[in-house]
Amino acid sequence: LSLTDQLLAALLLYGLPLLFGVIMIASIGVPLPINLILVAGGSFVAQGEMKLWPVIIVASAAAVLGDQIGYGVSRWGGRRLVARIIRKIGFKTQFEKAEALAKRWGGPGIFFSRWLVTGLGPWLNVTSGIAEYPWRRFILWDVLGEALCAVLYVMVGYIFSDRVQAIEEILGNLAWVILGLVAAAILGWKIVRSLRS
Amino acid sequence: MKTFRRRQWLVVALFLLIVGFTAFKTVHTARAVVDWKSHRDEPIRGWMNIGHVAHSYHVLPQALYLALGLPAAPPDKRPLRNIARMQHRSMDEIRAILQNAIIQARPPHPPPSDKSPHREAAP
Repeated sequence: LSLTDQLLAALLLYGLPLLFGVIMIASIGVPLPINLILVAGGSFVAQGEMKLWPVIIVASAAAVLGDQIGYGVSRWGGRRLVARIIRKIGFKTQFEKAEALAKRWGGPGIFFSRWLVTGLGPWLNVTSGIAEYPWRRFILWDVLGEALCAVLYVMVGYIFSDRVQAIEEILGNLAWVILGLVAAAILGWKIVRSLRS
Repeated sequence: MKTFRRRQWLVVALFLLIVGFTAFKTVHTARAVVDWKSHRDEPIRGWMNIGHVAHSYHVLPQALYLALGLPAAPPDKRPLRNIARMQHRSMDEIRAILQNAIIQARPPHPPPSDKSPHREAAP
């Protein structure tokens, strides 16, 4: 079984504690398929295996906690530590993209990276921490974004509960499309600006 | 100036690469959405439990429990790969048993509004 299959099987067996653990770890920065886990959670709600509100609350709380850990470590661990980690595990490009996005968009960047461009979420936690983005504003955007993310994906899974894998395929492709559009918009804007100058 | 131009071309090349990739993924996504109807039945996988298979295929779980020789109550929440291991069967065998049970459990003549190819294939 693949890691994704093992996580889905474990979610069926262990329910909310597993959901909490996986989402928190993924929000810190470990690449795990949390969108699929949330969609599957919604499907299991529709089947009566889990209950709707506990799933949404636990998923949101776990994501916010993971984000806070990422933000806290980056804010108090400092740029040097993060640079050392990036040197070891890579992801320099993603980090730079997220840092640019954090500087440019601030609060809305945090909000949209929670549910729209979810792959950049952990990186924006790091850049927000390093850039010492105000914690109160960070947590406000974070809670709003993560709650929306949990509601959105769980409800998609709930509505299309008999087609978890087809939905996962569509959402996976859609995430790349959104990421591509964001990257193309940033680069296109850079090109236009350099042509003007 | 020369360095700036080279960098500019690199940005344009990267931009075109990203646009191409995004277009490819957009077509892929659109096709997946259009093919939505034909993906009615999810492939049976080892992570699923019997309840999930029954829900995906719109059949009563009792028929699937019966096919695998398991009691219907209390509901067995174990993943199919665990059931396969317990019964000393491969996942392919489990899949074949369940698919056969699904064919038996589904109505032989689906209503005209249902265009699912799987349902039409049922005896």
